[in-house]
Amino acid sequence: MLALKGNRTTPTVAALGLLIGLSGMQVASASDTSGTMRVGDMQYGNGLDLRGWTPMLHPADPDGMSYLHPGMLRTPTGALYPYPPMIDAGKPLGSGDWTYSGLLEFGYLHVGGDRNAEYFRQYDDWKSSAVLGLFALDFNNRQTGSYVDFRGSRVSGNDQFYRLRGGKYGSYRIEGFYRDMPHTVSTSAYPIWNGIGGTDLTLPASLLAGASTPAQVAAVSAAAPRRSIGLVRTRAGLSYEGTLYRNWIGSAAITNEKRSGTRLWGGSMFFNYPFPDNGGVLETVRPIDFRTTDINLSVRNVGKLWHFLATYNGSFFRNHKNHLDFESPFALWNVVGTPQVANIENGQFSLEPNNDYHNIRLDLSRELKGNGQFTIAGAWGTMRQNDALLPPTTCTGTGGIFIAPPVDYTFQCANWNTTGALSQRSANARIDTGLLDARVTFRPTPKFGWHANLRWYREDNKTRYLAYNPLTGQYGYISENGSQGSIVPGETGIFDPTNPLYQSYMVSVRNVPFGYTDTILELATDWQIGRKTSLGVTYTYDHNQPKYRERKRVDDQRIKFDWVSRDVIGATVRLSWEYAKRDGDKYNYDPYAQFFSESLPGYVEPATGVAVHTVADMRKYDLSDRTESKARAIVTYPWGESATLSATFYGNRDNYDALIGRQDTRTTGSTLQWDWQPTPATTMNVYLGAETSRMGISNVADNEALVGADIGQTDPNLGGPLYPYANQWWEFDRERNRNAGLSFSHDFSRVRFDLSYNYTGSLGRVGYDYASLAALAYKGADAAAAVGDGFPDNKYRTNTLDLGMSFSLTRDVGVRVFGRYQTGAFSDWHYAGFNDTLSYDHRIYTDKGGQLHYSASLVGVMLNLKL
Amino acid sequence: MTYRSNLLLAGLLVMAGAATGAIAQEAPAADTSASAPAATLDLRRIQPISGDAHAGAGKAAVCAACHGAQGVAIAPTFPNLAGQSATYLYVQLKEFHDGERNDPVMTAQAAPLSDTDMRDLASYYASLAPKPAGQADANSRGAQLYLAGDPEQGIPPCQGCHGPTGLGPQPHWSSAPQPPWATYPHLRGQSSLYTAKQLGDFKSGARAGSSNAKVMQGVAATLGDDDVQALSTYLSTL
Repeated sequence: MLALKGNRTTPTVAALGLLIGLSGMQVASASDTSGTMRVGDMQYGNGLDLRGWTPMLHPADPDGMSYLHPGMLRTPTGALYPYPPMIDAGKPLGSGDWTYSGLLEFGYLHVGGDRNAEYFRQYDDWKSSAVLGLFALDFNNRQTGSYVDFRGSRVSGNDQFYRLRGGKYGSYRIEGFYRDMPHTVSTSAYPIWNGIGGTDLTLPASLLAGASTPAQVAAVSAAAPRRSIGLVRTRAGLSYEGTLYRNWIGSAAITNEKRSGTRLWGGSMFFNYPFPDNGGVLETVRPIDFRTTDINLSVRNVGKLWHFLATYNGSFFRNHKNHLDFESPFALWNVVGTPQVANIENGQFSLEPNNDYHNIRLDLSRELKGNGQFTIAGAWGTMRQNDALLPPTTCTGTGGIFIAPPVDYTFQCANWNTTGALSQRSANARIDTGLLDARVTFRPTPKFGWHANLRWYREDNKTRYLAYNPLTGQYGYISENGSQGSIVPGETGIFDPTNPLYQSYMVSVRNVPFGYTDTILELATDWQIGRKTSLGVTYTYDHNQPKYRERKRVDDQRIKFDWVSRDVIGATVRLSWEYAKRDGDKYNYDPYAQFFSESLPGYVEPATGVAVHTVADMRKYDLSDRTESKARAIVTYPWGESATLSATFYGNRDNYDALIGRQDTRTTGSTLQWDWQPTPATTMNVYLGAETSRMGISNVADNEALVGADIGQTDPNLGGPLYPYANQWWEFDRERNRNAGLSFSHDFSRVRFDLSYNYTGSLGRVGYDYASLAALAYKGADAAAAVGDGFPDNKYRTNTLDLGMSFSLTRDVGVRVFGRYQTGAFSDWHYAGFNDTLSYDHRIYTDKGGQLHYSASLVGVMLNLKL
Repeated sequence: MTYRSNLLLAGLLVMAGAATGAIAQEAPAADTSASAPAATLDLRRIQPISGDAHAGAGKAAVCAACHGAQGVAIAPTFPNLAGQSATYLYVQLKEFHDGERNDPVMTAQAAPLSDTDMRDLASYYASLAPKPAGQADANSRGAQLYLAGDPEQGIPPCQGCHGPTGLGPQPHWSSAPQPPWATYPHLRGQSSLYTAKQLGDFKSGARAGSSNAKVMQGVAATLGDDDVQALSTYLSTL
């Protein structure tokens, strides 16, 4: 019986697209530029509209995705595609073939409650003000396939995006964009310094650098005004892709990203722990003033047999603020109790250097007889930076400690606060990379296919730096701007082969030019078992050769099985399991001697020997022997014609063969989702997600009493005098995450109602255990009772409810009223006590952390005009 | 308003685990337009029809006056019906009968037909041998358009739905929802006059009463007059 159903139909471009697809022929020419990421930027959107075009999604097209197919289409695994939006046929523009359509949504937003809550503002610059929800204007020429479209949205001057795109389908595309994206790090920062955002942090007039008491600092901190810490990313770009000549297609893109703002930072004047009054621990604020320019060029040719692609990627990072100087309010006191001859009042950080990155790559692909394909790719890249180096210190006068002749650990700052104290004036840093990647794929029959892949990659670090001061003939680097050597005798950070006081000091004198060569072989095959079931097996052999690491060879072998069936009681089931085993050559726990002063001529080994670098039983987690298994199950069940139920279960298990170091990691999670769209007017989605993970770590504290005093300090073994079993300790990190989401919308013709609710909850717990109190650096009164205990739980939780109503006043005019209510809770023991004071002895902090509890709301009204 | 409230409540109940099927079926398609929509025939769910060809032969006397005794038209203004898809023929008669397609002659001819008559007639003409193949120029513009389309102009290849030889589509097996292949006409050997007229009607919107017509409207909009002529000529000699 013929179903006669009166329905409303509209011209649908999708129908033509499907027709083309149905032909079974490749009618899209080689110049088709759709679907590539060489033009444009990331997803455009903001807190008002994450998708960036939600107002254009309504009303949905009741004809679904095509005039050809009945009902809604599903993905091959059974998930429903959403109803597409009704295509606006547009209005004629003049007498030619061009048409236009557009939408303008603007209004007013009111922000209430705890509007400054950190997590409420994290990526949104909410303000009570007028906002531009969306301005969209499209021009189309259906005769020629040419188009121009504009999108724009503005929440504030720091939270906005605009995009202009134009081109001709199948021929070329050009796009320009501008966007500002905020990222708030803290809304409750109370820095004591002047000059926040600049390179020089100075103390207020009420504090003296190097001569203020903790009480004075605490008073200034308590009176400091609240500030927000964060940055704004401003991205702008221009890109093009189109046919150059016949089957040759080229693309060019330039993107500029400017990051400006502030970030919480450190400021160490050496330890203030466990001894009071010694040094200074400061939480400062550093400037962010970066600019990154990316240039991407490509040319490709798609022939009948050969495919060719050449690309160039360049990235140029510029930091307009290369250092951070800060004044420290605290006086320094040495641990030996002699009169303090040095008062280091300042600290300095060298910030990120300018650097350039270039990469050229060639890809070549050829069809082979027997339904095969051969692909080979080669690339060469280089990363370079050659900034002028800063002097090792900014201190003036005398630094260090004078005990009694000849025990004089002082140094003259003038010998170190000049670039003359450097062995070279600029960084001359360089890392080159090389890649060769070959792959052959065959599918001799529709039911059987295989591929082999061989990939070789090398990262060659050519940077060589020797920390040598030609003014003094000494090696090393003034530690913490001179403060460390002014607190602990001799810990100046230098080695001097001519000075008995410094000729046995172990300090770092060379950079470690880490690099590696990685070779990967992959063999894989898949079988189609019946019409709806397939089985795949993949074997991977990863041979890694790191340089200047504890191992010269690390081999990782992995096998993976995939089983997919699209008809298990009507559902699609995907199962995968993989097992990997990693091992390598002999583990050398200390390969770094050549980078320390012990490798230099004139180094005198102490009578008690050289203290070992670390415990020999330590296995770094990226190099240790490891077994890994992963399992995943994904079930997608089409529930009638209008709903889909899907569930995912997964688990990862890693076990490390290490007495000291990472022991194991475990992750187990699941998700459950229900999507329902009974009519074009109604949609509903429910999502639940849960994940737990844990990681075990073992370590051992050294026996401090032996360091520098006993031959026992040369024994690297666990269970020896320096690393006794009694000093071993364990850490157990556990994390539990829960997510839930619900969305519902219904179109009542004149009124559309939408609702969404989202919950995110995270619980983190760091547990610990130790063999005895000897494992602890600091033994508090309750340390014995705390064995097997843990730090207080860290909690993070947000609930967000959104409600919206959209009214159609006329065919072209509508009003949208919406609201958001968000509550959150935050608890992190790292910030415990900061609501009372940020000042503790010679430690001054800046950030109080996220709000313990907050609730904030948004209410907005928008006028929606169809243009 | 009661319905709307119920729908919202039902949705929330469903979230809590209530059955979904009944609600989904009761919810009609929403009228999302401010203006009254024009009714069209949605052919996307149609299944191939069946009828009594023998009975149809007895009802075809009037038809033969224009479409020929063996279904091959007596004049180029009329379509050949021999070997045509039965479902396509039935749908066309139904459209004429119900007023979704208009023709000075056919509208009147179809008006008195019962549903059974239409099925029988369609089955009868489908059972007749189609017009013998001609000598089409494989290098002509028409052949290129029919077989490969013209991406530069956005013209899809006709063979995707009408088959490489104009005798209907040859779809591969797929578990994905299938188009209503049986409703697509065979084009081989139709007169160029008739084919050009139909393409012109699609382009002008004169023939727009079904979801298939909507597809053809989109295709015809990409064709210039020369393209229409080239295609029509190619099909008449195919």
